[in-house]
Amino acid sequence: MDAFQGLMSGFQVAFSLQGLLFVFIGVFVGTFIGMMPGLGPISAIAIMIPITYSMDPTVALVMMAGVYYGAIFGGSSSSILLNAPGVAGTVATAFDGYPMAQQGKAGKALAIAAIASFTGGTVSVILLMLFTPMLSAVAVSFGPAEYFALMFMGLTAISSLSDGSTIKAFISAALGFIVVTIGIDSQTGTSRFTFGNPNLLEGIDFLVIALGLFALAEVCTLILNRKDDTMSNNQELGSLRISKQDMKEMSGPMTRQSFLGFIIGVLPGAGATIASFIAYITEKKISKKPEEFGKGSIKGLAAPETANNAATGGAFVPLLSLGIPGSGTTAVLLGAFLVLGVQPGPLLIQDRPEVFWGIIASMYVGNIFLLILNLPLIPYIAKVLRIPRPLLISLVIIFSLIGVYAISFNTFDLYMLVAFGIIGYLMRMFSFPAAPFILAFILGGMMEQALRQTLTISNGSLSIFLDKPIALTLIGISVLTILVPLFTNKRKYTAAKAEKEQNIS
Amino acid sequence: MLSRINQKIAVILAAIAGVYLIISYSLPKYPNAIIDADVVPKGLGFLLLFFAVLLFFDKKEETKAEKQKRHLSKSNLLVLLAVLAFILIYISLLEILGFLIMTSVFIFGCSLFLGYKKHLSNGIVSVVFSLVIYGLFNYLLRINLPAGIIPF
Repeated sequence: MDAFQGLMSGFQVAFSLQGLLFVFIGVFVGTFIGMMPGLGPISAIAIMIPITYSMDPTVALVMMAGVYYGAIFGGSSSSILLNAPGVAGTVATAFDGYPMAQQGKAGKALAIAAIASFTGGTVSVILLMLFTPMLSAVAVSFGPAEYFALMFMGLTAISSLSDGSTIKAFISAALGFIVVTIGIDSQTGTSRFTFGNPNLLEGIDFLVIALGLFALAEVCTLILNRKDDTMSNNQELGSLRISKQDMKEMSGPMTRQSFLGFIIGVLPGAGATIASFIAYITEKKISKKPEEFGKGSIKGLAAPETANNAATGGAFVPLLSLGIPGSGTTAVLLGAFLVLGVQPGPLLIQDRPEVFWGIIASMYVGNIFLLILNLPLIPYIAKVLRIPRPLLISLVIIFSLIGVYAISFNTFDLYMLVAFGIIGYLMRMFSFPAAPFILAFILGGMMEQALRQTLTISNGSLSIFLDKPIALTLIGISVLTILVPLFTNKRKYTAAKAEKEQNIS
Repeated sequence: MLSRINQKIAVILAAIAGVYLIISYSLPKYPNAIIDADVVPKGLGFLLLFFAVLLFFDKKEETKAEKQKRHLSKSNLLVLLAVLAFILIYISLLEILGFLIMTSVFIFGCSLFLGYKKHLSNGIVSVVFSLVIYGLFNYLLRINLPAGIIPF
């Protein structure tokens, strides 16, 4: 099946009544949860997973993809209106979006964000459609050694690119890997670290980790900030209208950042957050009027909004073609695939073309839905932000508990969930990033299997990696990404933050 | 000696790595495997130990924001512990009293405790939400949440 035929069959899925309905539900719920300050796409996806258990996998995954990019889209609204980004990927949106809202141009800012997001999202779907089959074709020839090297690279990249201390990020990844070794070893049947507890034999479910480390840990933060009254901030939105002049100003950053954002999204470890910061910095550098940035610049708002949505599309490339997530969010998304019995990877496009093309086609539709949802309905959706926090907190707790109970029907897992919630909160408290943990947890099992397969082929000798040029190169890059930041401790990301502080002061 | 908070964390992590390594070394051997089940855990244990040592000797000072993040007032700690207690009570009674009763009570009680004063809307939300979720899971998704003492 060639790409065109494939896409057509994908549109059949996306335009079916069921397809349209679930894309809509996905982007709507994603926007809704993404808007809540503190709740990000990881929580959104994890909360939605139980709903998909009995659904048709194609439709379910189309919906989950919608939740993901909907959450990124929705995060921009709370960034602009409240200066409280719901998602890390929209932090840079607040730099210029919030000043614009304060000038009484909130409606215009939301409209710019919606159009920029739509452009970034749509361009990246086109690129995704072109590049994923190509990468799949290459990846078919990969053996366990290459896969191990790829996953290793993804893990080291996310750790060295994450916010804050690199050592802490690596510790977080190591702990995630350690947790996944709990349970029966799939190759020898040895039960490891179960302490004789039968509930641990099958290992810890990834939903327990995702909902604990993210949703419940976020609940703790919400509880502490529950008296924050920014939520009831009821301001005038102003007109949504964008002039021709504004469009002209937006077009430059939108074109550039669609492509740049996509490329950054494809790279392991980098994602919407880094793409949006880099977009903001580059646009400021090349702008003729850099002094406007931070004071409500149209370019400064359009750039990160385009880039974070473009990166979301880019992140699907490694997920769909290699089956390897490059970020915490796509790791949880991979978990959603696996729950439904769909294994993404180079064979997905042949074995399950309806899933592969259905997701891609639905993203075109989803982006249009988001534009419709976000432009005229914005004033109504903004009311969501006024949901009383105590109630929101209780509901998120219940959603997390049901999500776990519905997979295991076992209260033991609920206690585990609470334990990981506490661990997640402690990690936040002591500035350990949680994304490397979840990625290591998802990749850990696959990495161990790939490594042991590789070493079994070579009869235990590590020299097999020397004979595989692709694997060797990837491992070489990974080692560099570990060593360089450990010794230099300098990061673009911190530079962007410093710039932000400068902007504010 | 343990002046920085990171050094205290490093010691705890090293202890975790130590326990993990001891269990890894006592895993039963499987005679036919070239790469046995203990290889990866041993590697991970040493890796964690290595990172813990790096963290211990990391000279970087905590930033102000980081310090502020781990500041937790006593009253806030009590609120968190109270919510934790609510959750634990919810879990322990879920299968006995059933989803509907426990969820309604939890949402109403927890929201009230956290300062939601509109009792009528709180009551409506907690009951309607529980009913909708229960209906959605049991009848639409065919995932049976515990009925408990309610016969449907």
